Amino acid sequence: MKKLFLLFALSILVLAGCAPSSGTTKLTFANAGWDSIAFHNATMGTIIETLYGYEWEEVMGSTPITYEALMSGEIDIYSEIWTDNLASYENDVATGRFELLGMNFDDNNQGLYVPRYVIEGDPERGIEPMAPNLRYVSDLPQYWELFRDEEDPSKGRLYGGIPGWAVDEILRNKFDHLNLGDTFNYFSPGSDPALSAALSGAYERGEAIVGYYWEPTWLMGLYDFVLLEDEPFNEALFADGVGEFKSSDVTIGVRRGFTSEFPEVAEFLSQYSTSSSLTSSALSYIEETGASYKDAAKWFILNHQELVATWLSAEEFNTLIAALQ
Amino acid sequence: MNWIYEFPFQLTIDTSAIDRGVRSFALTFDAVLRVIRQGLTTILLAISDLLTFIPWWVLVLLVIALYFKQSKRLWMAILYGVLLSMIGMIGLWPLMISTLSIVITAVILSVALGFPLGLLLSLSERANMIMRPVLDTMQTMPVFVYLIPALLLFGLGRVPAVMATIIYAIVPIIRLTNLGIRQVNAEIVEASRSFGATTLQTLVKVQIPQAFTTIMAGLNQTLMMAMAMVVTASMIGAPGLGAEVLIAVNRIEVGRGLVSGSAIVIVAIILDRLSQGWVKPTEEEGV
Repeated sequence: MKKLFLLFALSILVLAGCAPSSGTTKLTFANAGWDSIAFHNATMGTIIETLYGYEWEEVMGSTPITYEALMSGEIDIYSEIWTDNLASYENDVATGRFELLGMNFDDNNQGLYVPRYVIEGDPERGIEPMAPNLRYVSDLPQYWELFRDEEDPSKGRLYGGIPGWAVDEILRNKFDHLNLGDTFNYFSPGSDPALSAALSGAYERGEAIVGYYWEPTWLMGLYDFVLLEDEPFNEALFADGVGEFKSSDVTIGVRRGFTSEFPEVAEFLSQYSTSSSLTSSALSYIEETGASYKDAAKWFILNHQELVATWLSAEEFNTLIAALQ
Repeated sequence: MNWIYEFPFQLTIDTSAIDRGVRSFALTFDAVLRVIRQGLTTILLAISDLLTFIPWWVLVLLVIALYFKQSKRLWMAILYGVLLSMIGMIGLWPLMISTLSIVITAVILSVALGFPLGLLLSLSERANMIMRPVLDTMQTMPVFVYLIPALLLFGLGRVPAVMATIIYAIVPIIRLTNLGIRQVNAEIVEASRSFGATTLQTLVKVQIPQAFTTIMAGLNQTLMMAMAMVVTASMIGAPGLGAEVLIAVNRIEVGRGLVSGSAIVIVAIILDRLSQGWVKPTEEEGV
């Protein structure tokens, strides 16, 4: 009986293995887990599928793992490479470990955020302004008691960067540079979802919280946070934590050899370019309507035709719009 | 034709209603959650303070002495002492203490909750039937599925880390307590009953001592599973060796990952050997 069952199970497996596989080429996108990369994947994927006939799929993984997979050739397209978060990026571009096609957007913000009601209050929710004069990161020590760390009540808690991201080190240096250590603990949030949960949880409860985050993200679109100001950006001392963050370059990369194999796709990707606010608008659309990323991509293409036209030849553009409408 | 490979109908579950539910729950029960959080924080800080207070060499000597006492193997005892001091030599001692305080808190609370629950399950067939799928869920539900709501409710840090560890590690102590009591020879139980012992007396004086070995095996498993959660716990802001591993993994620093990973292994091995030792002597006495 047992053997019969095994035989049956095996034959199912064999059958599944024999299932006809489609002959078309599949392009692989990296999905490093945050929502804007999924949106850009869907937009690029939709255009590539409609115009050039290649199917596409996403591979999930953390930032370093998907980045490593791009360089080993397992991932074809990386639609959002956050260059400041990858310590080896400059070197990898210089040594040609992947092909850099262009800039997706470079007008994003990142840094230390507090909910707007901490500074201005929120009459609708009955929240009084807690720190009306908080404007600069260096003002934080005056208000540390607002951000009290429950696990160490003698100090405030500042939610730092995700461990392993380049920004984590810069923030730690900033923390030392501004002597925040006297009044604050630098709290490592462990992971991206944990940090989002901490920020949104505190916001829902109307509590004061200060932490690292970045835009464009659904979280920054959904909740009203204020980026704390800092001294002007300083190229030389930036890594030591002096001055505000400059916007990070978010680039598009493909694996080695991609350009020669898929010249028309590479040509399109090298023209692809959006902005932080455009991406945010698409993410808000998803948040509000509950649309899938693919639906959002279609919506985006049809609503920003003048932008999409700059990515494609006139003929391609007309084909695309006709196909999507 | 299509229904062979595709389901003929689809249900849509309103997951956003669940999201809203969790959020409004967090708002409504804020005060209760705060009390739980503060209670756990107090226990955690007390254990953490105690462990930080013990000088490193006392802990090393303690491990050597405990292991020697139970196994009578001096060289192995010294080897464990040396391994433990290695963690200090590579500069990971404070991180290890931090990890240990979370693991030990979680294990103490797991035993405090799990042991009585296991007893209850061994006495009541109905409770057993209800709890079995619950225990299965606790062990197999992917951690982040319930961790993110826990973060919304409790915020980030060591407290949710302890709670996540308890949910995962409490299962063996419940299961093996239950199993141990049930496996006690029915004739022995009957004998004690016939001498006029009450259910409670039978339980405390006959069944628990008889099941002691199995219960201790459960404790050992609970300890090991708590150690296995160290890296996951660091993903929600628990400091310690797990955080070190996480940083290394996130930056693909293989060497750093191996070093801190090995430290976790050393701690786990020592905890395993020491807790197994509690089982063996009674085995000899018990037979």
